Amino acid sequence: MIAPWSAETARACGIDWLLREIAPVGGLGRSARKRERPFAPGDEAAAVAMLARVDALARSAGGSRLGTLRAAIAAVPDPSAALTRARGGDVLADVDFFELGRFLDALGTVVAEARGDAFAAIEIPQPDAALADALAPGRADGRSFYVADAFDAALATARGESAARRAAFDSARSRLVARARDAGIGDVRDGEFVLMRDTAPVPLPPEIRVVREAPTYVLCELALDTTALDALEALENADAAVAEAEEDVRKRLSRATADAAPELERSCALLGELDVLVARAAFAARHECVVPELATNEHLELRDARFPPLAEALVARGRAYVPISLSLDGVAVVTGPNMGGKTAALRTLGFAAACVTLGVPVPASFARVPLVDEIAWLGIGAAGPDAEDAPLLSAFGAEVVALRAFLEHPARRALVLADEFARTTSPSEGRALLVALLEALRVRGALGLAATHLAGVAKAANVAHFAIGRLSALPPADGALPLGPALERIAAAMDYALVRVDEAGAGESGAIALAGALGLDAALVARAAEVLRSPENREP
Amino acid sequence: MGTSKNAGKTVVTAALARALGDAGTSFGLCSIGRDGEAFDALEGGSKPRFALRAGASIATAATLVPRSPAVEIYAATAERSALGPIVLARVRAPGHFEIAGPPSAEALRRVAHALGETTEFTLVDGAVDRLAALRGEDAIVVAVGAHAAPTLEHAVDDVTALVRRLQLPLVDDDDRDAVRVGGALTAAMAAEFVRAGEKRAVVVADATHVAFGGKTFLTLASRLDLRCERALHPIACTVAPFSWARAFEPRAFARAVAERTRLPVFDVYAGTVAEARAV
Repeated sequence: MIAPWSAETARACGIDWLLREIAPVGGLGRSARKRERPFAPGDEAAAVAMLARVDALARSAGGSRLGTLRAAIAAVPDPSAALTRARGGDVLADVDFFELGRFLDALGTVVAEARGDAFAAIEIPQPDAALADALAPGRADGRSFYVADAFDAALATARGESAARRAAFDSARSRLVARARDAGIGDVRDGEFVLMRDTAPVPLPPEIRVVREAPTYVLCELALDTTALDALEALENADAAVAEAEEDVRKRLSRATADAAPELERSCALLGELDVLVARAAFAARHECVVPELATNEHLELRDARFPPLAEALVARGRAYVPISLSLDGVAVVTGPNMGGKTAALRTLGFAAACVTLGVPVPASFARVPLVDEIAWLGIGAAGPDAEDAPLLSAFGAEVVALRAFLEHPARRALVLADEFARTTSPSEGRALLVALLEALRVRGALGLAATHLAGVAKAANVAHFAIGRLSALPPADGALPLGPALERIAAAMDYALVRVDEAGAGESGAIALAGALGLDAALVARAAEVLRSPENREP
Repeated sequence: MGTSKNAGKTVVTAALARALGDAGTSFGLCSIGRDGEAFDALEGGSKPRFALRAGASIATAATLVPRSPAVEIYAATAERSALGPIVLARVRAPGHFEIAGPPSAEALRRVAHALGETTEFTLVDGAVDRLAALRGEDAIVVAVGAHAAPTLEHAVDDVTALVRRLQLPLVDDDDRDAVRVGGALTAAMAAEFVRAGEKRAVVVADATHVAFGGKTFLTLASRLDLRCERALHPIACTVAPFSWARAFEPRAFARAVAERTRLPVFDVYAGTVAEARAV
């Protein structure tokens, strides 16, 4: 899959997290996923169909049932390599037949879990009965595989002959061992063994062959006589016949596998698609997602939209998450105090757009989102220059290089999320650059939202202005709090609602108050407040 | 486990397998992943092959499952060796079988556990750096051979040092003064403890965290109170008194190992047992 976003954008917008959440659980699903490409402008019909399928499955099956089905899918081994070799004329190995048996069993479990109305509209792969029948003699307990006598009478005969020949050889060898024992050799072992000279008979009996001599011992082995050698040769011939009969069984099973391969490969493809679909449906069920309307212009609207990576992190710490609602036409600016949710708002937009691009319903109560062929994150955390050039550039330089890269390959429809772009240069020049960027995005017909602390940007660029996060007076704290309680205190004083405002609605950043709430040295905070109020601090 | 390569582990393992078979005890056989596996596969070098009778279970790489005599494959594992995924199989007819295991101690532990679910006894053809795969109650047989040491005395020192490492006593739970070594205890660290006249117990996690052996270990360990948090249980030694390079007098070798290690010593080539004389 060629992603319409950079690695940095994926990180910033939680797309990496989303991809992990909707990752297929099986090897066949992972292969199916690799063959997919994201939906882009022009793919609206296909995207709508996929979103509807995912939503229908999520609603009708429910999270618990989908979880059980995913576990069943995860247990399905990938038989593709064995199928390819069987079709190519190879004689498969016993491990291949064992794995094919496991595949058919596991597929049967998937079919059992995917019964009912919830799956009526989905084509479910079916186990191949002919191959299951062909393998059955080797799967007496229904789980293992062995080239059993039941496959072929000739194999049973060959094994019987081998057992008889082995008994004959063991008997011939035992006679030699008995003669050696009678001659005073107490313990004749398989292979080489040691006799101590001071206890061994002299001379050694003819049944014992010396391999190596030493002053105090001899290394020796049993010497086979003609009878034993003939018995050994007969045993080797019988074992060769067994090997041939076993291989004949494998050839027949390999041909049966090759015959079943087209249908099995289709089953593999269907199972991969099912894995991909179920993974998305499980996500949609877990996060109470909604099927978005697909806008065909530069309009994006979200109601009660959530950014699940942040929502889950907050909930895990016992804190509330405030969803956002937003109606964005073209390009806009969002302002607000530090820690008020500006960046989270940008991430929520990027996440929602990525969901639609990937055919996943959106975690919101309503969503109208266009398909985009690029999601670009600029500003804090944006893609900088290549690693080898990175040390050559300042933070500002890296932002500019990232913007240049975005502008050099214009997308048909892009969503641009600019997080405090140009914040590291002088406020006046930074503001000028941001205004120019927003104008350029508007001209290009992009969707864009820029978070900034700089005043007057929306008005100067003639774009909509949203505000998020209004900080009430922080309640007094008894000394510096640990980080957790400090964050809770700030959250209690913050209104995270996102509203459209005129320019006068843009408030202070609240940076000094927040620095105090986060436990920064009180004297330093007091001095900062004093400087803020001083006439020298006013911009000319 | 052996003091070195060619210490006779494979012969000992085969002898144990034969003895278990004679006693009618069901058993499984698995192995560590050998460093030489890839080399062996590419260069055709010899790999250990175990003569096993019907009924034995093995854990080995799928690519090493023999075509004849056919075995009954009864489980797939999630572990991999350098030669591919590891499967569990049951021997159905006598033959020689190649065994390859996973490369990590954790994975080896899981494979041994899987084998043990259907057998009474599990044999692990192991190595000292995979001791972490053992549970506390597992027994260790230490193999030493003539191949690895230039003289009999040298070989006896090596095996004695290894047995002493494996026999490190447990630290007392209430020993608050003990010096706990976070990672591996090296020879240099141990020498520094000796130089500093350290009288407190010096504690490692287990024998795998002592990164030196031989005479150096015997010398330094005799001057320190070395202890561990996880005890291991060496129960016997075996000797392989000859190799293509040299040979030791079998009875003298076995006797010397028994005297120094105070463990029963088996010579599976001579079929003899040596015990240390009572002190």
